[in-house]
Amino acid sequence: MLTLPIEYYLTLSAVIFIIGTIGVLTRRNAIIIFMCIELMLNSVNLTLVAFSQYMGDMAGQIMVLLVMTVAAAEAAVGLAIVLALFRNKQTVYVDEVNVLKW
Amino acid sequence: MSLDLTFFIILAIMAAVSALMVILRKNPITSAMSLVLHFVSLAGLYLTLHAQFMAVIQMLVYAGAIMVLVVFVIMLLNLGREEKMAVRQSARAAIGIGASMVLGALLIWGLTQVMRPVAAGSSQAMVNGQIASVGKALFSTAYVFPFEMVSLVLLAAAVGAVVLTKRNLK
Amino acid sequence: MIEQYIPVIAMIVTGILFGVVSVKAHEILGPQRPNKSKETPYESGMEPVASAHERFSVKFYLVAMLFILFDIEIVFMYPWAASFRELGGFALWAMLLFVVTLFVGYIYIVKKKALKWD
Repeated sequence: MLTLPIEYYLTLSAVIFIIGTIGVLTRRNAIIIFMCIELMLNSVNLTLVAFSQYMGDMAGQIMVLLVMTVAAAEAAVGLAIVLALFRNKQTVYVDEVNVLKW
Repeated sequence: MSLDLTFFIILAIMAAVSALMVILRKNPITSAMSLVLHFVSLAGLYLTLHAQFMAVIQMLVYAGAIMVLVVFVIMLLNLGREEKMAVRQSARAAIGIGASMVLGALLIWGLTQVMRPVAAGSSQAMVNGQIASVGKALFSTAYVFPFEMVSLVLLAAAVGAVVLTKRNLK
Repeated sequence: MIEQYIPVIAMIVTGILFGVVSVKAHEILGPQRPNKSKETPYESGMEPVASAHERFSVKFYLVAMLFILFDIEIVFMYPWAASFRELGGFALWAMLLFVVTLFVGYIYIVKKKALKWD
């Protein structure tokens, strides 16, 4: 049986989501920004699993599986983009990639 | 204090502290290792929700596969420590933190207000966390189409990554 | 039913304690008489010629990345494999379509020689 109120899980996942948002907005390293996006995806996963278990509905857990798939595809392609960026510019700092400003 | 609450508090503190370490450490490898700890504590939280299959998948996919790739790229690029932020940058950081805090207040308020009617302790939870019920739901007519779409997403990701990383592609 | 995980916690704690205690006990109890040649990485071997933190080739990355995509495939196979008798023919055909689509991706990877080691 689940004895804790669901608000505990929801508050924790909101806090983790905010930590991820702060990371995305303040860090310059593209790989760390990428890891912060993973943090945000994970906090949403926690919300989905909590709702799924408290409401007795499997939809939340299926959605978590789909989110994980998208996260893996994003990891593969996103990190490939970071590698291509490094090959062309010799940097992974997002504020040094500003050629479009010309 | 009940055992459930003790487990939740320990795992929640682990998750929050390791998430903070991810964004505060200067060395990318330290950040990546904190993220692994974060994934492990989330898997523990899934176990407190009786979602066993989700906990296993969390370890398998995130800690086992995605983090390997991230650490791999950090090693590949041989990144050092990030330099100090410029003055203009720190003003931007303050705005970012402020905006995130507002978003956070809204999120916590919304999530805790809207879902008041959800009753604690659904008796379905023990069954629903098991792998067999995940299989039953995934291969029901409701979710079989998203399941097939997953294969297209993976196909597109494979093609995209090969095109982006392979030099002299014929 | 969180009580059933207490043995797992006990094992994790024992593992951490074993590692920490054996390293610390060695530091405290063992005799320590360091000298210059003892502190080199390979005490009676070769002199190291460069740093261990060397950049390695992008070829390895492509293999690691393709591993992730097929890892996800396995994640979707587990729920099917755990109860495929109850799920019946419909699930079998759904899984077949899934695997065939991913096999097309595999053929693409092989044809582009992405796994070739040259």
